[in-house]
Amino acid sequence: MSKRRNSKQVLFISTIVLILSTFLLGCTNESKENSTSNKDSKDMLTFAWPRDIGEMNPHVYNPSQLFAQSMIYEPLVSYQEGGELKPQLAESWEISKDGKEYTFNLRQDVKFSDGTSFNAENVKKNFDAILKNVDLHSWLGFIPKVDQTEVIDQNTFKLTLKEPYYPTIQELAVVRPVRFLGDAGFPKDGDTSKGVTKPVGTGPWVLEEYKADEYAIFKRNEDYWGELPKVKKIKIKIIPDAETRVLAFEKGDLDLIYGEGVISLDAFKQLETTGNYETSISEPVATRQLVMNTKKEQLSDLRVRQALQYGFNKKAMVDGVTSGLEEKADFILPTNFPYTSDLDIKPINYNVEKAKALLDEAGWKLPKGKNVREKDGKPLEIELMYDSAESIQKAMAETLQSEWAALGVKLNIVGVELTVQIQRFKANDFELNFFSNYGAPYDPHTFVNIVGSEGFGFSEAISSYPNRDKLLKQIADVPRTTDEKERQELYSTILESLQEQGAIAPISYIKKIAVYQKDVSNFTFPANRDEHPFTGISIE
Amino acid sequence: MGTYILKRIMAIIPIFLLANLLTFGMIHLSPVDPAEAYLSAAHIQPTDEMLAQKRHEFGLDQPLHVQYVNSIIKICQFDFGISYVSNKPVWDEVTYRMPATIQLALGSIILAILVSVPLGFWAGIKKNSGIDHFSRLLSFFGASIPSFWLGYLLIFFFSVKLDLFPVEGIGTWQHLVLPSITLALPLIALYTRLLRASVLENLQEPYILFARTRGIHEKVIMGKHVLRIAISPMITGLGMNLGKLLTGTIIVEAVFSWPGFGRYFIEAIFNRDVPVIQCYVLLAAGLFIISNLIVDLIQMCIDPRISRKGGQRQ
Repeated sequence: MSKRRNSKQVLFISTIVLILSTFLLGCTNESKENSTSNKDSKDMLTFAWPRDIGEMNPHVYNPSQLFAQSMIYEPLVSYQEGGELKPQLAESWEISKDGKEYTFNLRQDVKFSDGTSFNAENVKKNFDAILKNVDLHSWLGFIPKVDQTEVIDQNTFKLTLKEPYYPTIQELAVVRPVRFLGDAGFPKDGDTSKGVTKPVGTGPWVLEEYKADEYAIFKRNEDYWGELPKVKKIKIKIIPDAETRVLAFEKGDLDLIYGEGVISLDAFKQLETTGNYETSISEPVATRQLVMNTKKEQLSDLRVRQALQYGFNKKAMVDGVTSGLEEKADFILPTNFPYTSDLDIKPINYNVEKAKALLDEAGWKLPKGKNVREKDGKPLEIELMYDSAESIQKAMAETLQSEWAALGVKLNIVGVELTVQIQRFKANDFELNFFSNYGAPYDPHTFVNIVGSEGFGFSEAISSYPNRDKLLKQIADVPRTTDEKERQELYSTILESLQEQGAIAPISYIKKIAVYQKDVSNFTFPANRDEHPFTGISIE
Repeated sequence: MGTYILKRIMAIIPIFLLANLLTFGMIHLSPVDPAEAYLSAAHIQPTDEMLAQKRHEFGLDQPLHVQYVNSIIKICQFDFGISYVSNKPVWDEVTYRMPATIQLALGSIILAILVSVPLGFWAGIKKNSGIDHFSRLLSFFGASIPSFWLGYLLIFFFSVKLDLFPVEGIGTWQHLVLPSITLALPLIALYTRLLRASVLENLQEPYILFARTRGIHEKVIMGKHVLRIAISPMITGLGMNLGKLLTGTIIVEAVFSWPGFGRYFIEAIFNRDVPVIQCYVLLAAGLFIISNLIVDLIQMCIDPRISRKGGQRQ
């Protein structure tokens, strides 16, 4: 009986093994075939992105992805390294002396992907569609200031502003909403905010195939006026999970991983150390800052703000938390932005003794037998708000907590949702908060504008600056200046003063990362933070 | 029986209303303003006027009770509103993504049944044998390993190292294998143990002894009697898990880039896309209710004693 049972068991197990191995073998053959077809040819670059590319409408925002919009649609002016503004769809432009009239000479050999010509009529049509929804786009400084749009002739377009606003040209380089849709893409009523009929642009790429939440394939626009891209197609796979992106890349399903925070810093380091791939880190795209609310009593004293900055080892913290992928920041804006390189400020370096002395001087003494400093019986306790979903902010908050504890400062850290963080910041309901500026092509003017505008948190946060009124006037004057030299001086004064008063402490320069297979070459980071990185890229 | 079914169906209405009230309350108690979340997600620096305009557009400036009643009326018309993010009807967006989620859920439930029924049954009748130990080990593993981690492990071994299956995506049957295993393993763990326990319990019942003394063949006793009765608690478990399975695909969908509606829901939470969140919660509630109802009906067919009890209840 037991013999029979044993032989039955053996028979059953062998059948299972046989079925499984046939099944697995079948898979192996098929998936091998699949993987060779997946790898495609040298002509297609495969790239992963966390979110669906969205509707390819140049005039709307979420959920459309900036980089994908920038593949199809082009601006009049493009933002290049160091803040240089270069002609794109406009060959040249003239600005009137009063800084109100902008005349653009349009490039003549440009065609939309449906074969129609790009001309001044089309530029006006696009601008008018955007201006129909001024409220939606008013965050972009020049839009509410537009007074008139005119077609001078087939290739000349004129924009008239209500008041001078120097960053107009710079803002024309942003990805949305000021890029150009072909006439065929406009809906009947011309209101593109509700949707476009088809994505027709002048850019180097044309959307060929798209499956929401799965993938998008862009093919090269063979009639592109500029230099033709080297690869024929770009496939964008939508992979929401960062670890899966890394695994797909390791398997060879992806040629490129690129962006900010698209994979964890550990994963980046791990891929780098294998030596099997190429890695690259960009120039600073923004600064991670610590904003101190001077409206709060303990932070209203400059000496306390300075002491806090002297009191932590910034370099060690940035290196430790970001594995050296971010760089210790000395200035509140990266110096590769326009008007930011010429500052006369002495960066604050780690000096615990000086920090302690400053706190003593400010009246915050450490009572015997206690760990927290006190003034008039009140302990030196501060709250730092961070985005709980952002691991870097959390780790930095914890580091600051332990560093400042050594000074006798009790730091309470509070993790909140990003939306709550923004809301509390704007309502001026915070003591310390993390912030980062907008990057190219928005800064420095957008950052400075936010600092000066009420309701964004900054203007209230710096309320105890002795020179606040003067500073706010300078901030208001900057965009109206027509003289380049004067503008540079104003920016220098504003940025120096903001930093010297210590309410905005630079922590690190945020950078983009790229990891690509060895056969990918000529990868460069776009100077514009929101643009696509596919220009010039090739696969050998 | 007909009245019983009707009663059960009628009970769905108050449960739906309660679910809707709960979501509505939670969303309105949250400190985040959907209009602000919408604009921030779009990388727009909102001004007060823009916020007011958006609030008006979303109907958030109306009194709470008006908003609640409006939402009920719309839901009755199968109108779940327009997504704040995509500006498209939520119902269209959800139904577009639903087939992928159903495919994944069905794949894993079939896998779970295929593995757990023979395994649990065998482990029950061969108590303390090798197969019993194996089923215990598998159940322990399946019940304790987090889904996302199992997903990564499977991708790492079967996709990256062995190149047997694709890492992510949808389309062929190979795409379905790893996510189905990930989703099925906790179910296998549960059902195997349930079935094993139930088989052991039934083996002690007097009807088995009676059947044996009547000289009925062992195979018939096991197949026709023990399995049929023992499977009943497992079907209850299955019903309770059906709704959970569809909503539980969220993590697996994210790990395997499966374009289902679980992923869509996650993005909706991050973007505070209120109409989508509401639609999702109601659908989940509906799935739980309906799957439980179906299971009860199946139970009635399998085990006539239940149907009699049901009859008595009437």
